[in-house]
Amino acid sequence: MSASTLQVPPRAAAGNRALGRSRFREWTEKEGVFSWLMIGPPILFLCAMVGYPFLYGCYLSLMHRPVASTGEFIGLGNFIADWNDPVFWRVARNTIVYTFVTTVLKALGGLGLALVMNQSFPMKNFVRAALLLPFIVPTVLSTIAWMWILDPTFSVLNWLLIAAGVPAPGPSWLGNPVLAMCSIIVINTWRGLPFYAITLLAGLQTISPELHEAATIDGATTWHRFRYITLPLLQPVLFIVTMFSIIFTFSDFQLVYVLTRGGPANATHLFATYAFDIAMSAGQFGLGASVALAMLPPLALIILALAIYMRKR
Amino acid sequence: MTHSPPSRRDFLKAAAAGSLGAAFSLTDAQAAAKTLTLMHENSFIKTYDEYMNKTLIPAYEKETGVKVKYDLVSVGGLQTRVTTAAETGSGPDLTGMAFNWPFLYDEKLIDVTDIADEAGKANGGWHPGGTEAVIVNGKFKAVPFGNIGQLMNWRTDWFGEVGFKTFPDTWEGLLEAGTKLKKAGHPFGFSLGHGFGDNHGWLYPLLWSYGGAEVEPDGKTIVIDSNETAAAVDFCRKFFQNTMLEDALGWTDPSNNKAWLGQQISCTNNAQSILWLAKREFPDIGKVTDHALNPMGPTGKRFHILNPWSHAIFSYTPDPAVAKAFLRWLMQPKQLSGWYASADMYYAPFLKGFDNSPAWNVEPRYLPFRDSMTTSHLPGWPAPLSRAQSESVAKYVVVDMFAKACAGASTKDVIAAAKAQLKQIYQQA
Repeated sequence: MSASTLQVPPRAAAGNRALGRSRFREWTEKEGVFSWLMIGPPILFLCAMVGYPFLYGCYLSLMHRPVASTGEFIGLGNFIADWNDPVFWRVARNTIVYTFVTTVLKALGGLGLALVMNQSFPMKNFVRAALLLPFIVPTVLSTIAWMWILDPTFSVLNWLLIAAGVPAPGPSWLGNPVLAMCSIIVINTWRGLPFYAITLLAGLQTISPELHEAATIDGATTWHRFRYITLPLLQPVLFIVTMFSIIFTFSDFQLVYVLTRGGPANATHLFATYAFDIAMSAGQFGLGASVALAMLPPLALIILALAIYMRKR
Repeated sequence: MTHSPPSRRDFLKAAAAGSLGAAFSLTDAQAAAKTLTLMHENSFIKTYDEYMNKTLIPAYEKETGVKVKYDLVSVGGLQTRVTTAAETGSGPDLTGMAFNWPFLYDEKLIDVTDIADEAGKANGGWHPGGTEAVIVNGKFKAVPFGNIGQLMNWRTDWFGEVGFKTFPDTWEGLLEAGTKLKKAGHPFGFSLGHGFGDNHGWLYPLLWSYGGAEVEPDGKTIVIDSNETAAAVDFCRKFFQNTMLEDALGWTDPSNNKAWLGQQISCTNNAQSILWLAKREFPDIGKVTDHALNPMGPTGKRFHILNPWSHAIFSYTPDPAVAKAFLRWLMQPKQLSGWYASADMYYAPFLKGFDNSPAWNVEPRYLPFRDSMTTSHLPGWPAPLSRAQSESVAKYVVVDMFAKACAGASTKDVIAAAKAQLKQIYQQA
């Protein structure tokens, strides 16, 4: 048999290719295959952008790894150093206070705002959109605006206070350790409030008005309706939004880094800013990673609580 | 003509085409990368960056055909970019370097001793400060360029009003002037917060001028807990309470510039950038702004912070010879003269041959920056370069020791805290 007799005629070859394409198409259209094709890229993305850095961070935290040099394995040496570092404990205390106070303020303020926004009033949609502004504006930009607001030389706040009789130059918002912490708490609350308000507003709108009407007919007061209808039905949304807020606030970086860089005298240093200073400015990657990983246990507990709660629901 | 909604396959095709397109464009970009990139922090002196972009780079391209890209990084962000480049082995070919970075990134930088030697010989040799930060294991890992000194900026008119026609020569003298000035409504403002330069800029020299130090020259023995340190801390507390705005405790680097140009303070410690800007945009303030060397402490000595800038070449650069040729060209006297002058000597030359450069005569008020060079040292001095030194700076050990005392903590407590931190830092180094 000659080679030429083995050649497939062109039309037959085209037919085979079409058949192959058709089978491939059928294969990709299968639900099980297509779903993996869709979910595969995000999983790969998460592995590359979240999983790998996280695992590498864990690996670094067990190393003495100065920047631009090879490291050596030191086990839990970095964590022991953190344990003995007084600034680390100051940072832990700051982070907990900052997260707890801002979360409470955001929850109360956000709930109040959501209840107001749930009423009917003129330009309701415009006000709802405007409410999101602090959340939409990039954190660095809004923080720079706050920097001017709190600057003793140019502060509009101090100008008002002095006009109201407070002795010049007025409070030192970022120079006094207590006021500096209060300032970053207020700014974080201002920034995070819309997230709470809009999410809770969405939750409020899922509550049937008939429930309120029925309760009103039964003689329930406004407080009773809020306490026994609104709050219980809003609880799942409130719980989830609080968990997310705690996670974001616990790992906050930009606001503090732009405003105070952790000063004065570590009064506003948080885990993220302290880890950054150690890793980037001091060039101690291992130690920096161990500080960053110190956020993991509390955050993991919060995520676990969130997962359990959502499963129960 | 009708359009049907895209099928799943269309979507996958589009996604694949997008990915391939991105891959091809990357390949094209890599193929076209025949230029050099010099990374530098945005200079406070705009004309310095303009001179590089508009004069030096075009001249070099005309002379050699090599294109150079000047990659500017925002102030305070350069170290992060240098770290990323050193760790990933990709990025700019050359970079500006500050502080002790040539030591920190030593393994990722090529030896440029030949260029530094040539430049030194052609320009009268190097000031010791220039080499303090760049020689690692006997090799230049960066070519020294200039020092951004941190000196006393003072308002001549307000000092004159309280009887000080010249700047006080000692810290006690400055305290006396500051006390009078604060009472007259013109307080001082020296950064005590977590900035990256203005705080270290006066607090280390204050400590040294009182005879204190963090570590012995052996780089191991912690000596922060001393009578000299205690005296410096006590002085700093009094100095803060009697002369300053409370807000200085939280200041970062732009704060004192803003306060100066807002006419809120009469004295601060800063580079010459305040005067540079004032002369151009606030001429009335510029006329009454002057510079002075840091005051002397009880030891009879004065000190200044060394804030050295240098240029280094990353070891991953594909053609080190091309990068070295550019750096060698930059360091030739012809280029250097214009380069230094473009910034009004903001980067005080480390080359002795420029000590009497006519560029210094353009603004005599900048001369103290030249004169401060012989008494300037890196944070951590007199210990040699080390990673522990960087960690101490990054953790603001000395700055916070003084800041806590100013905020009301006892001298004993703040020194004990600093000692504990330093012990831990230097032990694990």
